Amino acid sequence: MTSWQAHQRPKDAKVVFLLSMMQSFSDSGGQTPPGAGEVCALPRRLIPTWPPAPLNTAQESPGVRALGGSQSAVGVGPCLADVVRVSASPPPLPTLTGLRDDKLTPSSSSPGLGGTPGETVRHCSAPEDPIFRFSSLHSYLFPGTIKSRDMSRKRHHLVPETFGVKRRRKRGLVESDPLRGEPGSARAALSELMQLFPRGLFEDALPPIVLRSQVYSLVPDRTVADRQLKELQEQGEIRIVQLGFDLDAHGIIFTEDYRTRVLKACDGRPYAGAVQKFLASVLPACGDLSFQQDQMTQTFGFRDSEITHLVNAGVLTVRDAGSWWLAVPGAGRFIKYFVKGRQAVLGMVRKSKYRELLLSELLGRRAPAVVRLGLSYHVHDLIGAQLVDCISTTSGTLLRLPET
Amino acid sequence: MLGFLSARQTGLEDPLRLRRAESTRRVLGLELNKDRDVERIHGGGINTLDIEPVEGRYMLSGGSDGVIVLYDLENSSKQSYYTCKAVCSIGRDHPDVHRYSVETVQWYPHDTGMFTSSSFDKTLKVWDTNTLQTADVFNFEETVYSHHMSPVSTKHCLVAVGTRGPKVQLCDLKSGSCSHILQGHRQEILAVSWSPRYDYILATASADSRVKLWDVRRASGCLITLDQHNGKKSQAVESANTAHNGKVNGLCFTSDGLHLLTVGTDNRMRLWNSSNGENTLVNYGKVCNNSKKGLKFTVSCGCSSEFVFVPYGSTIAVYTVYSGEQITMLKGHYKTVDCCVFQSNFQELYSGSRDCNILAWVPSLYEPVPDDDETTTKSQLNPAFEDAWSSSDEEG
Repeated sequence: MTSWQAHQRPKDAKVVFLLSMMQSFSDSGGQTPPGAGEVCALPRRLIPTWPPAPLNTAQESPGVRALGGSQSAVGVGPCLADVVRVSASPPPLPTLTGLRDDKLTPSSSSPGLGGTPGETVRHCSAPEDPIFRFSSLHSYLFPGTIKSRDMSRKRHHLVPETFGVKRRRKRGLVESDPLRGEPGSARAALSELMQLFPRGLFEDALPPIVLRSQVYSLVPDRTVADRQLKELQEQGEIRIVQLGFDLDAHGIIFTEDYRTRVLKACDGRPYAGAVQKFLASVLPACGDLSFQQDQMTQTFGFRDSEITHLVNAGVLTVRDAGSWWLAVPGAGRFIKYFVKGRQAVLGMVRKSKYRELLLSELLGRRAPAVVRLGLSYHVHDLIGAQLVDCISTTSGTLLRLPET
Repeated sequence: MLGFLSARQTGLEDPLRLRRAESTRRVLGLELNKDRDVERIHGGGINTLDIEPVEGRYMLSGGSDGVIVLYDLENSSKQSYYTCKAVCSIGRDHPDVHRYSVETVQWYPHDTGMFTSSSFDKTLKVWDTNTLQTADVFNFEETVYSHHMSPVSTKHCLVAVGTRGPKVQLCDLKSGSCSHILQGHRQEILAVSWSPRYDYILATASADSRVKLWDVRRASGCLITLDQHNGKKSQAVESANTAHNGKVNGLCFTSDGLHLLTVGTDNRMRLWNSSNGENTLVNYGKVCNNSKKGLKFTVSCGCSSEFVFVPYGSTIAVYTVYSGEQITMLKGHYKTVDCCVFQSNFQELYSGSRDCNILAWVPSLYEPVPDDDETTTKSQLNPAFEDAWSSSDEEG
């Protein structure tokens, strides 16, 4: 990953988009945005540029150091600090699509977006020059919106986000490491993680399975990740499956992959009919992890013999009397490799001196033979499941076993 | 801060907002303060703490040596250095002291004249505070893990008791005997809690991984069994619903009673909507929990975003309730922390642990502004070196 991504933090998303928008205004070369009286080359002088780079040029490398500098901002507010300190060099645009989701949804319309820096400015307790200039920039860009928004802004934003922020900064362990470069959505994380799954190992008979804990390692806010996964589940894009070894470990599979693999696996077998009926009727209708007896018999019209066929096919696993988990046929091998690999990678950290390892060093080592699914696959899972603590150091991310 | 005050003065902001903002700021600044101490009386680990709801001045603590101590938290001396003294205690020499470890103490919700305590010696004792005598004793067949009395109810004085047996017993203080039994759990009941919003709603947590919400007026069984997967509600399946993947150790309603927090030995904490039993899927990450008995945690009250304080090994983890973000870990105890309580008038947190200490976490105020330099320099300067000329360049 490029180094700027290594420094990127989720809160930069708002800033990133804002700066690109500002760039687009200045790029229009002095064209007045609708309703603005004068738009001169204000952006250039207002934003403290470090390193000095004009707003119009799209350069990535100055942005690296500038974004890195934003990490040490004094407690005025993360978005605000980033707005102030991040230099005028705009970020590369491809990131925007990935970054839109969680941080930008409250300010999806452009006046709202332009309003954000003004709002953050308003409740800043220590007015600094660049901030005032920024607010005047805001008024230039969106003059029509100022007066009506003044009062409402005051009402809603005197409650101190700043108070919260000052404390949270002290905790300061929000790290940026190469594995966590992605501040984006769960969906992007899923696509990336699916690439790590070794398809060839199972001769393509298993759909690519990703674990929920791996998604947590890429999307730092767990609640947001959970909600996005739930949305994807409700839309029918993914299925969540209970992996037997740990009640907490959920495997995530794309529905399409699941369907094709299951059909291929049950081809020509006696239970093929029941499986096809299941895939056609139950899967689209019910997005849960488990199925109940009365649901299967009454709502979907399965007989007991058909349910037995499904269990034999590996599509259902018994959970309790009269209820079943959804399962992946042939997942036993995957679970065996996964459990052994997880223990082996944890063992690598455990055996090291002081029970800690730099992430880069761990990824650089040769994987023991037991690890069949790949080192980075397991490392994502360990970080997300909080089986190791991630500590940011000057030499990169350190993985340390927790004391408890 | 000045912005808030002027906004409040001119009427732009609701006074409550300023109060909430300041409470939040104070909670975020909680730390150990060298000026505040709680007197050390207990000889064993401290299992439970409770602050009286009327004034927030007196605190009860129950220890694993069976001793119950009553502290006065108010700082009436003019100095900043203050030790919370024990007003009285029920020690080992008291004739009615509990024989084994005290698991739960609770003040009577409406005044400080009475408190209740339950212990591993299979009793629940009701004490008169002024005379320090037991007013009543309830005996059970199994050890008592937890009890709770409704903080808002005026229509009943039922105490819900969770024991090692699977039945929740409701003891009536007016009549002096057990009036109800709630059946439905399969293993020991580790925590019980009444709702702070409705008089008759009770939540119980058990080692069989289930949390049940009851209306005690209803004879036929529990209202809801919480399901962590938010599956479809159907009567036949209630038995398969689990709230956690391990024992459920602790229960706490938020102060408005609309949400319920549960912790379990699967190292998870979950937030539930208490009206329909839905898992809100807020993810707090790994909340380490190795306790074999109940874990007593608490929620802040009166802040703009509520915080939950959970004992996490030998530290206390602070999370925001509705977003699941971890704010900080309060480190200070030497051994496992068992209980914590929040004093909402001053935004202070008191925690008790197995190292026999109660620590007070006080909001750290701003550093005192140093005095003007003239006073310090004058004191440092030897009068022999002072000159009689004025230091101002402007005067002639």
